[in-house]
Amino acid sequence: MAKEKSKYAIETFALTKIFPDWWGRAKVVAVDNLDLQIKHNEVYGLLGPNGSGKTTTMKILLSLLHPSKGAAQILGGSSRDPKISDRVGYLPEESYLYKYLTARETLDFYGRIFGLSRKVRKARIDDLLEMVGLTPMANRQVGTYSKGMARRIGLAQALINDPDVLILDEPTSGMDPIGTRQMKDMIIQFARRGKTVMLCSHLLADVEDVCDRIGILYGGRMQTEGTVDSLLQKTDQKQIVTSAISDKALGQIREIIKKENADCDISSPMDRLEEFFIRTVASAQQANQPTSGAVNTGQISGFLTEQKPPKEPEKGVLDELVSATVESEAVEPVAVSKPAVVEVGEQGPKSDLLDKLTKTAVVEEPGDVVGVEETTDAAETAAVEEIGGSDVNSDLLNKLINKGDGSTDSVEGSENG
Amino acid sequence: MGSIWAVARNTISQALRMKIAVIVIMMLAILLPLMGIVMGGDSTLKGKLQTFVSYGLSLTSLLLCVMTIAVSTHTLTEEIKRKQIFLVLTKPLRRYELILGKFLGVVILDVFLLALFGGVIFGITYFMPRMIDADEKEVAKANDAFFTSRAVLTDPVDKKEIMKEVNKEFARRIKEHEIASDMTIARMKRVKQSIMAEEIGKVTNIPPGGTRVWRFENVRPANPDDILFVQYKLEAVSPGVDKLYSQWAIGDNRQAARDSKTRVGTYQSSDAVRTVQEFKFPSELISTDGDGYVEIVLHNPYENRTTIVAKELKLLYRAGSFAGNYTRAMGVILTRLIFLAALGVSVSTWLSFPVAILMCVVVFFAGTVNGFIVEAIGGLSKELAVVYVFTIRPLLWLLPVFDGEFNPTPYMVSGEFLKWSTLGKIFLVTAFIKSSLLLLGGMFIFHKREIAKITV
Repeated sequence: MAKEKSKYAIETFALTKIFPDWWGRAKVVAVDNLDLQIKHNEVYGLLGPNGSGKTTTMKILLSLLHPSKGAAQILGGSSRDPKISDRVGYLPEESYLYKYLTARETLDFYGRIFGLSRKVRKARIDDLLEMVGLTPMANRQVGTYSKGMARRIGLAQALINDPDVLILDEPTSGMDPIGTRQMKDMIIQFARRGKTVMLCSHLLADVEDVCDRIGILYGGRMQTEGTVDSLLQKTDQKQIVTSAISDKALGQIREIIKKENADCDISSPMDRLEEFFIRTVASAQQANQPTSGAVNTGQISGFLTEQKPPKEPEKGVLDELVSATVESEAVEPVAVSKPAVVEVGEQGPKSDLLDKLTKTAVVEEPGDVVGVEETTDAAETAAVEEIGGSDVNSDLLNKLINKGDGSTDSVEGSENG
Repeated sequence: MGSIWAVARNTISQALRMKIAVIVIMMLAILLPLMGIVMGGDSTLKGKLQTFVSYGLSLTSLLLCVMTIAVSTHTLTEEIKRKQIFLVLTKPLRRYELILGKFLGVVILDVFLLALFGGVIFGITYFMPRMIDADEKEVAKANDAFFTSRAVLTDPVDKKEIMKEVNKEFARRIKEHEIASDMTIARMKRVKQSIMAEEIGKVTNIPPGGTRVWRFENVRPANPDDILFVQYKLEAVSPGVDKLYSQWAIGDNRQAARDSKTRVGTYQSSDAVRTVQEFKFPSELISTDGDGYVEIVLHNPYENRTTIVAKELKLLYRAGSFAGNYTRAMGVILTRLIFLAALGVSVSTWLSFPVAILMCVVVFFAGTVNGFIVEAIGGLSKELAVVYVFTIRPLLWLLPVFDGEFNPTPYMVSGEFLKWSTLGKIFLVTAFIKSSLLLLGGMFIFHKREIAKITV
């Protein structure tokens, strides 16, 4: 982003926040000499246990708290400057909404504060409501919403100005898996369009899925910082994924690996529970569609039936919000992969996540996984844990699948058609 | 401006949907018509009208004031408490714009509700003569003294002239050694007061056979054929007198001396002492020079055999319509509401809801007895002169004035003309200067403060 004057989208300089007690004596050091530098077009995850200063840092960035020492800048200025805050979206740790306003009125209110014209407001509100799946209950007071639904409105208000910098505090808290998934897709989409995202979360899996770079705070100090890949990749292990192959071929592979003097472990890859949940709900939703009205999962019905792949509505909304240049890969619909595809490689980079997710979501028969282990060091324990966890899941999933056989069929049908 | 308007709209929605305003609206919507039916007054039409308008306006003013206090203190404190403000202030909205938006929202709500219930009261008074089927005499009386707005000119005793006389007399007494020259300040004051009483007595006391002249200027009735009223109370200096004769002459005696055609009206009466009496005269007795000059001469006939004093002499005349007067009364009530809205929003930038509302209620009641408070504290703090001038007095000045000449109800009850200048004065001082100061103070604090609560 050459047009930016500042080098970093978000930057803090020796930021310190001390909360004094009633007598003015220093009581708690919430943030301690924090130098945070988030580049433009980066998805940055701030992690840390409760009370480690994540939210305090965000609130100082947004000028809701004053720094005791140091400074914090967004886009090279203070967030109190309307020119800056015009380009910032913020989702706080809870959705603090006016419960007497309806969803539509809520978004209209924030749209007015941004000075959007009536026409733009109307179009964006419709798109955003569609995107977060709340169109059917847009005229209900927000006070009657569940936490997850309020969260979706919170997200919609953060996006109404199509911000360049998005600050998300626990973005997925209180959301159902579909909302979580959508939130993550949205963040990835957002980054692809050249925007900057700063988020903090306790749900490490979510952070891992979307962030380019993470920092771990403890006691207000930065403990570790780096790219997700560099921090998490096990360079001493390799993973090969294939579609169903014969036992003979497997034996041959084993032989080859044996020659390399390495251990190997062969198993079928597990679906992630998230994928499985989304597929199950989607198919149930579609099976029920003809008898509409009696859908007991009312919250998600409108949302799901109108947006089968969670990615597409994102595109529509975000692209329409601003006619910014969108990289072609973001626009391209993800190809439905054939089950015969064989994927062999290392742990994929995070940017491929969406593709991977979409592919796995339509795989009919899981392929075999060949886990090749070169050493038997501490990393092994991680693999063992993973398998143990998967076993438990597979039992649970089998039960679920047996119960809902028909719905699984309908998923396949819809995907093929 | 767009974002201020958005905040204002949101504030109104909040007041309506959080039911604070709704309760007030319901109470007024039920109570006002009920009062119109139930209130009897002294069983005359005029009495009934006076009672209704008095209680109706007082109730509307009180409830709207309470509502304004509640809404204006609630709206911002609630937003801070529920942290909705996090979402608002991280948008391109300056903090002062939020304050202005809140204030504007409350004021718009006030204007709307005041117009609504002011209209209801007006409608009920307007249709009351027909509703109770009053006879013509009653209606005429109500039209004379209620459905009108009469300007009131009071006894124009020239205080300055009297003070001059007092000082002259005081100097004379010192010069002639009637009193010591080295007396204390307190004693000097007492002496001056007694001289003052004597001097006033010289002007007001009318010995048997004597006369007193009241000179009024700028008497300008709305219509040339209007009737003017003189109200007075007579007292006798000698004890035991309960009935007094009086002879009055009304007209422009300056002109009468030059021109024999000038009409001078006369009126004779015998009245009970210490009760308000009233007589009428036509407006053609006023000077035709264009300065609206008229003299009222009271002659004390010898039959009284005592010196008499005429107290609280007033000249009343129709100076405008009832509707115009009523509108100005609404304007006075509106200035109260504007002040309270500014106060409520201002204090809620730094106080929590219960404290803010308590403070506003205290200030409101202080405003309704402002005259008393200023006098009481002013009297107490003579010894603390410097401290008083720089601390308490500015604060006292900031108190609103809801009583005395700024209480609209008595004007409506007695059909007295509420001057534009009175409305202008209170609007400028209370609704503009004081409210602006309060809002600026609130904005300053709000600009400086941390919005997020400290949570570690």
